[in-house]
Amino acid sequence: MTASIDAHRPSLVGSSVRRVNDPRLLTGSGRFVDDISLPGTLHAFILRSTVAHGRLISFESGESPADIVLGPDDIAAATEPLPFVWIAPDQQHLHLPMGDTTVRYVGQPLGITVARTRAEAEDAAELVEMTIDQFPGVADSLAALEADAPLLYPDHGSNLAVDFHIGDDPDVLEAAMAAAPIIVSRRLRIPRIAPIPLETRGVLADWNVGTETLTVWMSTQTPHHVRDQLAHVLRLRIDQVRIISGDVGGGFGAKEHLYPDEVMVCLASIRLGVPVKWVEDRNEHFTATCHARDAVHDARLAMTQDGVFLAIHTKVTGNLGAHFSNVGTGPFRVSGLMLPGPYRVVNAGAKISGVFTNTTPTGAYRGFGMQEAAWVRERLVDEAARELGVDPLELRLRNVISSEELPHLTPTFQEYDSGDYARSLTMVRDRVRAHVPIVDPNPRIRRGIGFATHVEFTGLGPSVMQEIVGFRLGGYETAVVRMEPDGSVFVSSGVMGMGQGIETTLAQLAADCLGVGMDRVSVHLGDTAQAPYSAAGSIASRSMTVGGGAVVTAANTLREKILRIAAHRLEASAQDLVITEGRVCIKGDSSVGISLEELAEYSWLGWKLPEGETPDLEVKFVHDPSNISYPYATHAAAVAVDLDTGQVQIERYWVAHDSGVVVNPRIVDGQIAGGVAQGLGIALFEKVLYEENGQPNSTTFLDYLIPLASDVPDIVMDHFETPAPHIPGGMKGVGEGGTIVAPVAIGNAIAAAVPEIAGLILETPLSPGRLWELLRIGGLINE
Amino acid sequence: MNAPQTVMAINLVVNGVQVAREVEVRTLLSTFLRDDLGLTGTHVACEHGVCGSCTILVDSQSVRSCLLLAVQVDGTNVETVEGLGSLGSLSPLQDAMWREHGLQCGFCTPGILMSIEGEVRSGASAEAICDEVLSGHLCRCTGYQNIRTAIHAYFATKDES
Ligand code: FES
Ligand code: FES
Repeated sequence: MTASIDAHRPSLVGSSVRRVNDPRLLTGSGRFVDDISLPGTLHAFILRSTVAHGRLISFESGESPADIVLGPDDIAAATEPLPFVWIAPDQQHLHLPMGDTTVRYVGQPLGITVARTRAEAEDAAELVEMTIDQFPGVADSLAALEADAPLLYPDHGSNLAVDFHIGDDPDVLEAAMAAAPIIVSRRLRIPRIAPIPLETRGVLADWNVGTETLTVWMSTQTPHHVRDQLAHVLRLRIDQVRIISGDVGGGFGAKEHLYPDEVMVCLASIRLGVPVKWVEDRNEHFTATCHARDAVHDARLAMTQDGVFLAIHTKVTGNLGAHFSNVGTGPFRVSGLMLPGPYRVVNAGAKISGVFTNTTPTGAYRGFGMQEAAWVRERLVDEAARELGVDPLELRLRNVISSEELPHLTPTFQEYDSGDYARSLTMVRDRVRAHVPIVDPNPRIRRGIGFATHVEFTGLGPSVMQEIVGFRLGGYETAVVRMEPDGSVFVSSGVMGMGQGIETTLAQLAADCLGVGMDRVSVHLGDTAQAPYSAAGSIASRSMTVGGGAVVTAANTLREKILRIAAHRLEASAQDLVITEGRVCIKGDSSVGISLEELAEYSWLGWKLPEGETPDLEVKFVHDPSNISYPYATHAAAVAVDLDTGQVQIERYWVAHDSGVVVNPRIVDGQIAGGVAQGLGIALFEKVLYEENGQPNSTTFLDYLIPLASDVPDIVMDHFETPAPHIPGGMKGVGEGGTIVAPVAIGNAIAAAVPEIAGLILETPLSPGRLWELLRIGGLINE
Repeated sequence: MNAPQTVMAINLVVNGVQVAREVEVRTLLSTFLRDDLGLTGTHVACEHGVCGSCTILVDSQSVRSCLLLAVQVDGTNVETVEGLGSLGSLSPLQDAMWREHGLQCGFCTPGILMSIEGEVRSGASAEAICDEVLSGHLCRCTGYQNIRTAIHAYFATKDES
């Protein structure tokens, strides 16, 4: 570990400064991709399959008046297949062909029309004649594994795409299970859901005929990754492609790779030699952008008669959709890796089966595999407590890894770093004890409080670990910190802003290290022509941990150089100098000093420098962390369940969490509040529905509900900080925890409110219709 | 070209400026504001009237601009987020949203600001706005808590002055 910011513990880290980019967003001056227009821009419409399974036997552009129509054959001839990124053991499909004429899901892009306006492009698309020979389809992963199921890839011989183990050797695990006095086993499901950023995907592609370069404005979380993929697919050199990601209206995992429709838009611009824009509409988004989750877990928790946990295992049947996504089985795998959670277990592991179905591919979404793991583990723990007749929170406290046991290596090869897991449990317990229960004379309203806790995997990751798990993305981040000749500070990083406030928090770190005000720092992200290379971009709650750690070290290194130059100018020793309020002065005597403006001006001239010092005030630092960082939290929900309607109201919600050093408390609170709201949606409303044959039934906001203001309560949050020992600055990730824990905290609360049906709470969403059904089975409905 | 080419002339006031344009009859009001007038602060996130991102004021009433045609606002007074305040001088409501971290990605924000603005003008209380009006908008980022805080903070400063 290099210099820490604690050495000169500054005032900005830990302070809720206002976000630097808000004024433009509040006044309508943001620049989202659809806000950008170039002279002569044409507009695209993507032709998609309306059937779930079949073969496209003809694609006739006929009389279409479009400026260009490209069908599957044109697209296939002009492109290389798109390589997948996270490859499972023995995965046979390694890339996605562009322009495939076998149709495997509704929404699959087949062609593109381009015209003067979007409306005219849509008109033109209506004149394209597509004939699809339709096959039987299958949407459910378990149904797809049955002997008579239609096969998506007949050559592959089965819809079972991959099958592998992680964690302890299966024989060891089975022996541990066989020897255990008590096993709680359940089949639990996490349905298919969708990330739903409010801004859909969009692309403005501009091929410059003269320079033979492609500039693409795109709403993406991973500009460099997308650039590399796009160059490969379009057979260009990487240096011919520039991606600019401006304001991004939410990502949540949906925008972390290149999609085939985006390639088509770029290809159209290359063919026409003019800018082409395409912005996904909401109906398209529901089938064209990756879904997530869709996993069935056959899970077991083994313990002693005293409730001491011994082993945990799950068999995951994961629905991949029509083909591997960028991350493929990654989420199912992470469910297995993080299954043990904060508990001491001797043995743990998972069997992962990835299954092809005629549905939209499943990919990354906030909580990536860990929300599923939390649902499975924390429901099992509550069920175990019910079987043992003990308090669920006490059972957790009995099994949680103590702070003295950290660092701790799990059977699934996670080396938990630092913290006090029990403390988050007791903090929430104390909050809940202080809560005065609501008295309601209506006996048909039941109330209950549920708890859930977790440890989270954030900040991908050591690059060597990525290599071990077959995830072809470097895990490092690079920062460039430069003091310009006028003393202002330029910070550039490969991570991306998409609402999480990273522009502000990186500026806080740099300003603190350099002893300047926030108004002297600007942060530049998202343009591959300017930002340092970032293989992974803003995914996996890594921007602050990995990207912020890079900024801390780069800024501290620059600070040391500034002090050396100032020491030379002031004829003092660098150790006797401090930077404060934009000046370098002698400690304890601010009358002797030099302003940063003057120092920077002369440095860039190459004048008055100490022997051997270069004139540039610029530091580039590559931060490849030595480990993942592991934040953790406990949540509790107080719910009211209406036995007559199946309606659930969340009346109170508590969170106690530790995400290491908090750079901006208000932003951290916002991440948790927003994450909990998404988790609440998972718990109560969200499910992407398909007919058995693969026809989608969730294609508008009227049939896929996300939480409204009236659904989401105010959240009581307690923070404490255990620095990540291996991260410069000590930060851990905070983007996903809210979403990971909330669904099962709410599920456990419903189980507590209506113990008669506790054993039936195995699957989300616990929507009124579903819950009413469970209440009926439990004999609680007066019929 | 098979596309309908029926064009109409419209006259209206947008953020205090008189505007006269010819538009295709089928042009949505949201498209007209964004593409013809370059007022890209009005966002479109569903085009089916659910999310509220495209909310603007027409004669001080909040409306969803994705559900209206441009020709329907002929002769009216239209206000968009660009008319609320500017970078250097945010409106008190914008400032409250900034102070209380009432936005993350900011995509939903202009619509929410315009809805609140319309309700404030018609005399709605902070409670009514938090309980009812806000539930007419989708925000995927914030969890709404800080938007409620901002609304109350805005009313507190408004009542002081
Ligand atoms: S875009 Fe108009 S309501 Fe969603
Ligand atoms: S701030 Fe992103 S949708 Fe509301």
